[in-house]
Amino acid sequence: MDNVTKIEKDVNIVAYYFHNRGPRLRCFPKAMEWNGKRINFTETGMVHPTKKGQRAVHVFDMSDGNSDYRLEFDAQALSWTLVSIADTGFNHAPRTQFATAH
Amino acid sequence: MPHVHNLQLPINTAQPRIMHIDLNSCFAMVEQQARPLLRGRPVGITNRNTEYTCVVAASYEAKRLDVKVGMNFHDARLLAPDIVLVESDPPKYHHVYKLLVKIMRSYSPHITMKSIDEGIIDFNGTDLVNQRPLSEIGMEIKRRLQEQAGSWMTCNIGIAPNRFLAKTAAGLNKPNGLDVIDHANLRRIFSKLDLTDLSGIAERNQARLNAVGIYTPLEFLDAPADLLHRHVFKSICGQDWYQRLRGWEVDDLEYDTKTIGRQFVMDELQPTDETVRARLAYLCETTAVKLRYKSLAARGIFVYVRYASGDYWYERRMFKSNFFTNTEVLRRAMLLFNHRPVDSPVRELGVSCYALTQSVQNQVSLLEEVNREVWLTEAVDTINAAFGEFTITFATSLSAKGTVKQKIPFGSTRYFDLLCNRA
Repeated sequence: MDNVTKIEKDVNIVAYYFHNRGPRLRCFPKAMEWNGKRINFTETGMVHPTKKGQRAVHVFDMSDGNSDYRLEFDAQALSWTLVSIADTGFNHAPRTQFATAH
Repeated sequence: MPHVHNLQLPINTAQPRIMHIDLNSCFAMVEQQARPLLRGRPVGITNRNTEYTCVVAASYEAKRLDVKVGMNFHDARLLAPDIVLVESDPPKYHHVYKLLVKIMRSYSPHITMKSIDEGIIDFNGTDLVNQRPLSEIGMEIKRRLQEQAGSWMTCNIGIAPNRFLAKTAAGLNKPNGLDVIDHANLRRIFSKLDLTDLSGIAERNQARLNAVGIYTPLEFLDAPADLLHRHVFKSICGQDWYQRLRGWEVDDLEYDTKTIGRQFVMDELQPTDETVRARLAYLCETTAVKLRYKSLAARGIFVYVRYASGDYWYERRMFKSNFFTNTEVLRRAMLLFNHRPVDSPVRELGVSCYALTQSVQNQVSLLEEVNREVWLTEAVDTINAAFGEFTITFATSLSAKGTVKQKIPFGSTRYFDLLCNRA
C-alpha cells in the first residue's frame, strides 16, 4: 500500500513563484511552514481543480525531493491546507527495504 | 452497398485523416506526474486501500514486471515486491482528460472520446485549417500535453484512414509512439502482428478465425467477405471486419444508454443484513442520481446478489410507471431484494435500471403525492449540488457513505463530470 500520512491541517505558504504556464501567469507555492519547519518545494507535480460543494478548491501536488505533499487552496476562504504527505522515509532506501516500509 | 456475397472492396487508398490518441498507462502516469517520487517505480492504481483490492491500472515499470490490470494486490506484490499501490483520484484524471479534450478540439470539431484515456480526432473536412502533415500535428499534440499536464505525460498516437487502423497504429510502439498506417504499409504492418494484437480479436474470435484456417492478420485481410460473414462471425460483423481491415470506416457510431446502475463488492466478509441493506440503499441513491444527471427515467429494475458460496441470484421486473427519484429506485429495488435467498453471506450486490426513456420530471402530475416526491428530490439535489454530494441522504445509507466510493467509470466518460463534482 501507499504510505500516505493524512495531515488535514492549515499551513502557511511563505513563498510563491510565478510561471507562465498556458495563456496566463500562474502562481505556485514555493515554501511552506509546517510543524515548526520550513519546507522548500523543488518540484510542482500537478495542479488540478476540484469542487467541494460549490466551493472551488485547487489541489497542488508538490515535492521537496524527499516527500510528496498534497496541498489544497480554498479559493473562497483563501486558505491553504496540507492534506497529506506521501512517501516519507523510503525515498533513499534500497528498493527491497522500500517494499517493507508499507 | 453491394450485396455481401459480392462485396469486393480494395484497400482504402485515401490519405489517413483519423488520429487515435491513447494516454500511456493513464492513471499510473498521472499519479507519477503528480508525485515525482513515484517516477521510475512500479506503481499500481487501486480503487480501494484494502487487502482484497485489485490493480485497475499499472505503470510501465510495473507492466515490465508482468503486473497486469485486474491482478489482485497479493499477486501484484509477488511479481513486483516494491510496487507502490496508490488509491485512485478521479479529479486528477478528469483534469488531464479535460486538457486532452481541449487540445484535441483545437484541431477539429469532430472529436470522440472513447474512454477517459483515449480519443479520436477526425480531420476530414479540416484540410484548410490543418495543412501540415498529421504526423507533425501528432508531435505537436505530444508537446502540448507535456507543456500543459507535465513533463512525465506521454501518449501514443496512431494515424490511419479509419478508426480501427488508427487504434492499431497507436498500439504499435508503446510507450510514446507515433505511427501511421496507410494503404502503402498496411500489409507490412499486418505481417508483424498476431491476430490478438488486433483490437476486437480476443481468444474467442481468434478461435473462430482459426477454425476456418485463418491464423494471421494477413490471412484475415485476404479472407473474402462471404467467408467472414457466413462462416466466421455468422452475422453482419463479418462484413464489418472485411471493410474495417481494408481501411473503410464502419465504427463511426454512437450508442444510446441502455442501462444505468451500480455494483459493489462488500467491504466485510460477514456483513449483517442491516449492512447489506445500507449498501443497497446507497447504490440505489447513486443510481437515481445518475438517471437524473442523464435526464432519464426507467421502467425496469434489476437487482443481483453474489454470495460467498459462489452462488448468484438475480431478479428483474418491469413496472407500469416510470421512476427516477431516489425513493422510488430504492423501494422497487427492495421489493426484489426481499425475494433473495439468505443462505450465505453476501459478497457482491448490484442494482441496474433499464427500459430507459426521457425523464418526465418537468411534467406536473395529477397526483399530488407524486409531485411532492419530485419537488423533494429537486430540493435535495439542489442542496447537494451546493454543499457537496450526500449532504442530505437516506438515513439507512449513512454508514455506506464513506465506504462505497464512486470510482473510475472504465470505458465511458458519460458520468465523469458527475463523478468529479462528488469528489
